[in-house]
Amino acid sequence: MNVQHQSVGRRGFLRGALAAAVLVPMGGTIASCAAGGGGTTTGPTGTVSDTNPFGMAEKATLDAVIFKGGYGIDYVEFAGKIFEKTHEGSTAKIAPSTDIAQELQPRFVGGNPPDLIDNSGAKSIGFSTILAQLEDLTSVVEAKNLEGKVIKDTLYTGVLAPGTFDGKLAALNYVLTVFAVWYSDSLLKENGWTVPKTWDEMYTLGEQAKAKGKYLFVWGKEAASYYLWMMMESAIKEGGDEVRLALENLKEDGWSHPAVQSVFTAMDKIVKAGFFKPGGSGTQFTAAQAQWTNAQEALFYPSGSWIENEMKDQTKAGFNMTGAPVPTVTTGSKLPYTAIHSAAGEPYIVPSQAKNAAGGKELLRIMLSKEAATNFAKTKLAPTIVKDTIPADGFGSTALVSQTKLLADAGEDIFTWNFIDLYGMNKDQLVVMNTFLDGKSDVATLTSALQNITDKVRNDSSVKKIEVK
Amino acid sequence: MTSVKTQQSRNDDGLAAVVPATAPPQLVKRRRKPLTWDKVSFFAVFLGLPLAIYLLFVIWPFVQAFGYSLTDWSGFSPNQNFIGLENYTKIFTDDIFMKAMGNNILLVIFLPIITIILSLVLASLVTVGGSSKGQIKGLRNSSFYRVVSFFPYTIPAIAIGIMWGQIYDPSGGLLNGILTGLGFDQFKDFAWLGDKNTAMIATMFVIVWGFVGFYMVLFVAGIKGIPAELFEAARIDGAGRFRTAVSITIPLIRDNIQTAYIYMGILALDAFVYMAALNSGGGPDNSTLVMAQQLFFTAFSKGQFGLASAMGVVLAVATLIFSGLVFLVNRLTGGDKDVSL
Repeated sequence: MNVQHQSVGRRGFLRGALAAAVLVPMGGTIASCAAGGGGTTTGPTGTVSDTNPFGMAEKATLDAVIFKGGYGIDYVEFAGKIFEKTHEGSTAKIAPSTDIAQELQPRFVGGNPPDLIDNSGAKSIGFSTILAQLEDLTSVVEAKNLEGKVIKDTLYTGVLAPGTFDGKLAALNYVLTVFAVWYSDSLLKENGWTVPKTWDEMYTLGEQAKAKGKYLFVWGKEAASYYLWMMMESAIKEGGDEVRLALENLKEDGWSHPAVQSVFTAMDKIVKAGFFKPGGSGTQFTAAQAQWTNAQEALFYPSGSWIENEMKDQTKAGFNMTGAPVPTVTTGSKLPYTAIHSAAGEPYIVPSQAKNAAGGKELLRIMLSKEAATNFAKTKLAPTIVKDTIPADGFGSTALVSQTKLLADAGEDIFTWNFIDLYGMNKDQLVVMNTFLDGKSDVATLTSALQNITDKVRNDSSVKKIEVK
Repeated sequence: MTSVKTQQSRNDDGLAAVVPATAPPQLVKRRRKPLTWDKVSFFAVFLGLPLAIYLLFVIWPFVQAFGYSLTDWSGFSPNQNFIGLENYTKIFTDDIFMKAMGNNILLVIFLPIITIILSLVLASLVTVGGSSKGQIKGLRNSSFYRVVSFFPYTIPAIAIGIMWGQIYDPSGGLLNGILTGLGFDQFKDFAWLGDKNTAMIATMFVIVWGFVGFYMVLFVAGIKGIPAELFEAARIDGAGRFRTAVSITIPLIRDNIQTAYIYMGILALDAFVYMAALNSGGGPDNSTLVMAQQLFFTAFSKGQFGLASAMGVVLAVATLIFSGLVFLVNRLTGGDKDVSL
């Protein structure tokens, strides 16, 4: 900055108002660019009460930035309206964003982040980088909702796990995603097929399907990792929690665990038998998914429960999308067949430096209350982490009904993992998975490639590791 | 027409097209006049202000990026520790980044050459490649071809990427549809972008397709600046079309070619949009991953801005080295000799 000021001064240029008008804001930009950081600005506080558990100031303004993806932002605006009604005089400003990381990075560095963020989407901020700057949201789940019930007691099992890092509840994941193997109930019934419960049964069904000119699976290049997640889920069910912990904690032999290997071997057999529709590594994932929902070239697709909403316009009439738990290797697996991988998604975070952090928590509390949560389930056909918001008919969606059933059947056997997103490994794993599903590698290659990705993160001292217990 | 001169390449920045020097050079030295308010304010507005903006928005970010590349900044916190050149060691021992760099080098070698040869051939055809009787002219309907071949350039890169992504689609794509329709059954469900042997070639084809028209127009402009008498004389001396192109056209539009080469090379070192649109994840076995993509992933999905800044510095240095090489090669092959017509 010296250089500029000297050159300006020496030549006696830019003395006029124009110069001032141009340079002053620029100087401000530089100062904030240079990672100088701002002090914590805590706004005025109000009195703490049951209707205002976080002590938000009266007539406050709330600044929320919400990822605008498949779920839109109208459900937050809905909660925002309740917020404005409950706290008269306060306003909720809810802004959409499709690029959370790039858009909010300067605000984090400058010390003026929004009060509430939905840190989601492909361009979300990696949690390990901002963890220290986030509020612990335990106070939110311990508060009472608008109906007067303690929020913690109204939530599904295990939904707080994905947002808990090193014992700190840094993110509240709002939407419940159930991972399952999805299929067309009508198509299976028509052919007299049943959903396979083990990989051997899956293989047998593959042969029958092939006789009818159908494949078992399709995949798209951007979503090859869905198959990795399916295999991991099956392996964790087979080998129990130790498999999950080994993977989460980036253990040296995590991917060589016998349970993981047995699933890889079973899948390799299916791949080599040609039960995958070829060409997936060059197909855009929604096009691949349409080959399943519309052309019905394949029977199954492993995915999160967003799939119904995502493919709504391209699903054949009478498809009756239904989900089933991922097959196991043996019938004697450590966790039962009904155990599922379910992760709460759409992580909501409240930065500690936010001007109205209490307001951010307050909006979260409203979103977790019955009215807003039911509204979400009804308009998005997806459950939130709040229980009992979905009627028996699932608002007319077969997929929503089967999600509720999967969750009920699983009971306490619900698990998830964080390490892939936490350390940003998805992109590297995609490459490996595409090759594997293409039939161009084998179990050994897949194992060493995945292990290599894990090892690289573990050996990188600049990456902060979070131990999972 | 003999007074038409091409600008010397030594003094320009290499990016200007051939411009006929319209006025004779000023040889008389003028005496320095005293500074008046008029002059000073003129300097301030037209020299000082652009310079300040340039320093602020071009030079300063470069300096900043270099500074960040020496730290472990995560990008989201105000804290950063100075770690010296550690990021650079990490980059050059990282197999994925080296692979990305290799892909960029591959692009830099092939993209400009293919694009320029193709567009030179086309430019020659539509300007001097026509009937060998009568006036020098291009092929019949050449203005139509010229317009048509410019079309791809008017489509935004991202749209080109999406469009070709659909054309290359294994099961529903146009390309495999045509190939299987012609009886090449081995291409049924063949993933052009999903096979590591074809992904890079398929991607390069798309980029070349998008730029040939533009460089053709650039070269057409250059060739139009060459007096027709030269071509006529060559023809009378018995030179064929190929000989004319090699011995007359290319030497006379050498500056344009150098410019095109540098532009295309810089594009090849970036190539982010095409790669991201065709194979957002880096392609099979990272065969289409480029440095700019890896930089983006490192910064925004891994939250390692320090490391990403170091990658940016490497990319910038690579670009400078490339431009330097092009100038050097051009000079070594006699490009700095003034070519007068």
